[in-house]
Amino acid sequence: MESVVLNINGRDRKIQVEKNWTLLYVLREVLDLTGTKCGCGTNDCGACRVIIDGEARNSCCVQARRLEGCKIETIEGIAKGGKLHPIQQAFIDAGAVQCGFCTPGMIMSAKALLDACPDPTEEQIREALSHNLCRCTGYVKIVEAVQLAAERMREEQEGGSAS
Amino acid sequence: MIGEGKPIEDAAWKVTGRKQYVADMKVPQMAYGKILYSTIPHGSIIRIDTSKAEALPGVLAVADYRNSPMTPYNSAKRFIGQQVISNETIFAQRCRFVGDRVAAVAAESEEIAAKAIRLIEVEYEPLPFVTDIPSAIQEDAYPVHEGGNVITGMETHCGDAEAAFAKCDHVIEDTYTTPPIHHAAIEPHAVLADWGPDGKLTVYSANQNCFAFRVILSDIFGLPMNRIRVCAPAIGGAFGGKLEMTIEPVAAVLSKMAGRPVKIVLSRRETMMATRVRHGSLSHVKTGFDDDGRIRAMEFKIYTNTGGYASSALNVAGALMHKVFLAYRIPDMKITSIPVYTNTETAGAMRGYGSPQIYFGMQRQINEMAGILGKDPAEIQRINMVRPDSRNPASGEPIGNPRPLDCLEKALRLSDYEKALVRQRKSKEAGGPLRVGVGIALGVHGNNCFGVHRDNTSPMIKMNEDGTCLLYTGSHDMGTDTVGMQKQIIAEILGITVDRIAAVTADTDSCLWHIGDYSSRGVFVVGEAAVKAAEKMKTLLLEEAGKYFGVEPEEICLRDNRAWVKTDPEKSADLKEIMIYCQSVSNRELCVHETYEAIRGAASYGVHIAEAEVDIRTGKVRIRKYTAVHDVGNILNPMMIEGQLQGAVQMGIGYALSEGMHWDSKGQPGPLTLKKCGVLRADQMPDQLITDFVTGKGGEPGGPFGAKALGECPVVPAAPAVVNAICNALDIELRDLPASPERILHALKGGDKND
Ligand code: FES
Repeated sequence: MESVVLNINGRDRKIQVEKNWTLLYVLREVLDLTGTKCGCGTNDCGACRVIIDGEARNSCCVQARRLEGCKIETIEGIAKGGKLHPIQQAFIDAGAVQCGFCTPGMIMSAKALLDACPDPTEEQIREALSHNLCRCTGYVKIVEAVQLAAERMREEQEGGSAS
Repeated sequence: MIGEGKPIEDAAWKVTGRKQYVADMKVPQMAYGKILYSTIPHGSIIRIDTSKAEALPGVLAVADYRNSPMTPYNSAKRFIGQQVISNETIFAQRCRFVGDRVAAVAAESEEIAAKAIRLIEVEYEPLPFVTDIPSAIQEDAYPVHEGGNVITGMETHCGDAEAAFAKCDHVIEDTYTTPPIHHAAIEPHAVLADWGPDGKLTVYSANQNCFAFRVILSDIFGLPMNRIRVCAPAIGGAFGGKLEMTIEPVAAVLSKMAGRPVKIVLSRRETMMATRVRHGSLSHVKTGFDDDGRIRAMEFKIYTNTGGYASSALNVAGALMHKVFLAYRIPDMKITSIPVYTNTETAGAMRGYGSPQIYFGMQRQINEMAGILGKDPAEIQRINMVRPDSRNPASGEPIGNPRPLDCLEKALRLSDYEKALVRQRKSKEAGGPLRVGVGIALGVHGNNCFGVHRDNTSPMIKMNEDGTCLLYTGSHDMGTDTVGMQKQIIAEILGITVDRIAAVTADTDSCLWHIGDYSSRGVFVVGEAAVKAAEKMKTLLLEEAGKYFGVEPEEICLRDNRAWVKTDPEKSADLKEIMIYCQSVSNRELCVHETYEAIRGAASYGVHIAEAEVDIRTGKVRIRKYTAVHDVGNILNPMMIEGQLQGAVQMGIGYALSEGMHWDSKGQPGPLTLKKCGVLRADQMPDQLITDFVTGKGGEPGGPFGAKALGECPVVPAAPAVVNAICNALDIELRDLPASPERILHALKGGDKND
């Protein structure tokens, strides 16, 4: 066991980890942050996607002990003050949620994209989501949700800077 | 409200990551279970030594065939008394495929359990094995089970196909194959079992049929039903892969031995290797037709690969037979269906339930027919499709309100079919490396189990004292909003808003018996049951409101969460007041239930048109445009049904081009990762995907508000539509799924046409 401080959703968490513990394991089993899902454990499906220093990554394939000093965002951290993040709201409004198992990972992929690129093309959205598998939706409404969120976030931004 | 789009009812839970799936659950004292699987395709265990595993600190229980019930069961059994072949046990003594369960461990942590599993020593006496249909059906093939590998042969027919073929202008005949595939629900199988000190077993499981699991667990452990509770708190996708029982009895046995709750969450590899797959198939298809394009006769002989255990061998092979009679007006048909055992993963239900397999060959031949006659495949479809007044030629019963023709015409329009044909012709004339082809296919699927076995659903509705209500439904929401759909129906009938209804679902202790969520019965049966239950509750509310206002019940109507006196708009009351009156004056609780059994079967239709671009240098296929139009009667929730259709297209194109499991010469399965299993990603979807429905045609008789299923139907026509497109682009015939680049290149080189 070694000690590591992980900054998760803006809060420092000091925890003891084994060498081989993945971030996914720590999130789910140590910190009870079960919003991040495990669909494969082999870096293929994106259900465990989180954002590490602005980049969407599969938490099943990153060792927790290497993340000291990194900023980690998970699905639990993106709604603010009881208000859903615009991407979460857009997933609901666009009908992008079915069984929901891919949803947290999809939303984190979308967030990393929109944080870096507020006005993406459909191709960029599809590329960003191509690391996440979904077996229910055919991705159509997920892409639409990301477009809707992008639009709303830009409007919010413009509204915010104008006032 | 009916007909208005709305997101799935638990969407907010899901987007926040707060929906609790079974893998997310933790209960006090919980232990972790792991399973050891057979590494050989066939063989008896002659020695098993678990002593080292037992001695490992932190290990709480080790189970195998020696200390666990060996009651044979059938994992697809649905109700007491159902005639099924029972030949699976919790743990195998004779292993029948790589992935058969050998032993299991419960431990303080997953890590310890995994370590203990590796300490178990097993010695096998290997037996000969078969992994494909042609070898399994050989006379001298080594039997997977006593009695041989051919489980049975079932036959259905109408007219006299043999005699009709003799009179046809043309007869074509060929053999088609489809592979087993992984369902690829993104949630791997998970269970948490808690065998309490009072002898009551509670099982939380991601599954589609809690009541059936209770029956099987009761058979295995000899427990009465009041001492078993099965519930499905959430399901992260199923598609049939969670309809049959797999790991639940393992967790139960471990929990009993350990005296602790035990959770088992499978890895992806385990889910792919050791749960269920879609039946692989091999079919001989024969079509007789005349110069005018009329199909005169069809004959099918299909073998389905059921893998190591019977499970749904008879159900799938039986169900698929009935589907071929619902598509066209063909007077003379015959189908023989033969399920066979092999030493591969057990096959089970998967979206389509045999239809994708049987329709593949059928729809390929419709395309081939068009080529022979020099006609447009759309024309062949048009001439032969059933009409709304058609009858099922095998049963003589009316089909309902089948609208394949309307699907076809709409799909042709939406896909701009004529222009696509021009692109196909021009790309051939140009002779470049990229060839365009367009393909059409029709798919059909049922709506319930009518005529096969019981088809009940029993919702219950209870009013609360504030005018809100609770729905108790045995149905399992797999992501299709089947629970929200019921709420929507109840809201409509009771004149209340959906937010006034809460639901208790998929729990054998709190809900009335429900036969399970499969066979696309969500809308047609479960939805109609909700109609019936809501109507009962409405009657009671009208009665109470009548008393409250001192008028006859007929003079009351319900809307906007209130009861109104029809003739006097001044007189109305919130349902809360009615309920307070009901409880305090009438001294009465309002609670109703309906035991609903579907009164008939129904068929859903879809026509898909794929426009594919094939690179003749690499054999790679890109779907440029994909159009799917479905006949689902009237639509209850356009948002959810559209999403479900789009998802089915992804599943269907994967089946066409890239998905498939295989077993090598040593009987080892592959692929066992999501990376390699061929599920389409967001950037591999068609460039343009058009989905639509046929509406305004009177709806489906017997369905709620005239609605019927989408469900499984759209995975039926997808693969043949895509493969027809490829074949039309390249003037080749492909008869095996998936249409991989290798197969396409092989066919282009003039390879053996049945290869
Ligand atoms: S919503 Fe089910 S996997 Fe995406």
